[in-house]
Amino acid sequence: MDELDLLKKHWQSDGVEDKHITTKDIYPMLLKKSSSIVKTLFYISIAELIFWILVNTLPLFFSDSYNQKLNEMYGDGIVMPILAFLSYAVILVFVYLLFKSYKGISVTDSAKKLMENILKTRKVIKYYVIYNLIMAFLSMLVGFYYAFKNDPNIKTVFQDAESGTFIVTAIVLILFTGLFVLVIWLFYRLIYGILLRRLNRNYKELKKLEV
Amino acid sequence: MNKELEHSFVELLEKHQNIVHKVCRLYTNNYDAHNDLFQEITIQLWRAYPKFRGDSKFSTWMYRVGLNTAITLYRKSKRSIKTTEFDTVQFKIKAEDYDDTEEQQLKLLYQAVHQLNDIEKALVFLYLEDKNYKEISETMGITEVNARVKMNRVKTKLRTILNP
Repeated sequence: MDELDLLKKHWQSDGVEDKHITTKDIYPMLLKKSSSIVKTLFYISIAELIFWILVNTLPLFFSDSYNQKLNEMYGDGIVMPILAFLSYAVILVFVYLLFKSYKGISVTDSAKKLMENILKTRKVIKYYVIYNLIMAFLSMLVGFYYAFKNDPNIKTVFQDAESGTFIVTAIVLILFTGLFVLVIWLFYRLIYGILLRRLNRNYKELKKLEV
Repeated sequence: MNKELEHSFVELLEKHQNIVHKVCRLYTNNYDAHNDLFQEITIQLWRAYPKFRGDSKFSTWMYRVGLNTAITLYRKSKRSIKTTEFDTVQFKIKAEDYDDTEEQQLKLLYQAVHQLNDIEKALVFLYLEDKNYKEISETMGITEVNARVKMNRVKTKLRTILNP
């Protein structure tokens, strides 16, 4: 007899439950909160949306000198509104994509489909983070460029210094910005790596069957 | 959600709770974790229940939600503090069938099944529940041929674990 068939014989006939749950026990269970991975992912994506929106907008509301500096640097009053409009449009697109992919997650799909849909949602969040990191990197560089070009204090410093100093400073700033972005990216990878480790492992196992 | 729906769900779950217990037994190894997973599966079943159309059997629908929760959705919550592990004997063999060697064999088999990975356990679970390969393939999202191939590999793996 096959080993599993022996188990099957008892599995079918045996009442595994040693603690019978009554209807009275079930009612309170319906009110408890889920601790599923989708819920955690949902909270993280909301936190990320809010975080990056705050990072982009808070300085505009709370710092007059920051606003003044921006106006001085970008001068004409056209660049800033266009950038703001574009960044809000991108946020809206991401909110829509996230909403759509969360709606697509259904516990009654097959195991593989469910995993794929969760990973798809995680991808949307990933792209949102990549977009923000690229924007952070670019805006830091552009900020440095305009500061060098338009800030009178910085201008004086570099006029007095040797010509090589400027290039060295620029390289250091680029490296520093790149490092900053890289550290944030690694932090994200770590968080999602831990959160989705089991899911990724199981998804790979299912995919392996298709090869 | 209305009371009638809630009532019908609770009645059905109470009646078919064995399926959920069995999933929990396969995927956890202590009482707290078992209860925690049972709780999470109940929540997922309840959330999905309004869309349950009754065109499949409630039990069949439960297999899918139960396994999906155990394999994919479930995250150990803080509630599940590790306590004493289960006694490995999960089966109370009926008195008239009692056979010492068989009980020993079952114990080892159950330990071996616990060493399988999540996907393999799911296949074993559906096999033990007497699901055919079509149902197994639909639940897992793989082809019927692959379900068969994998099941044979799982059987070989179990044999190797039992007779190293």
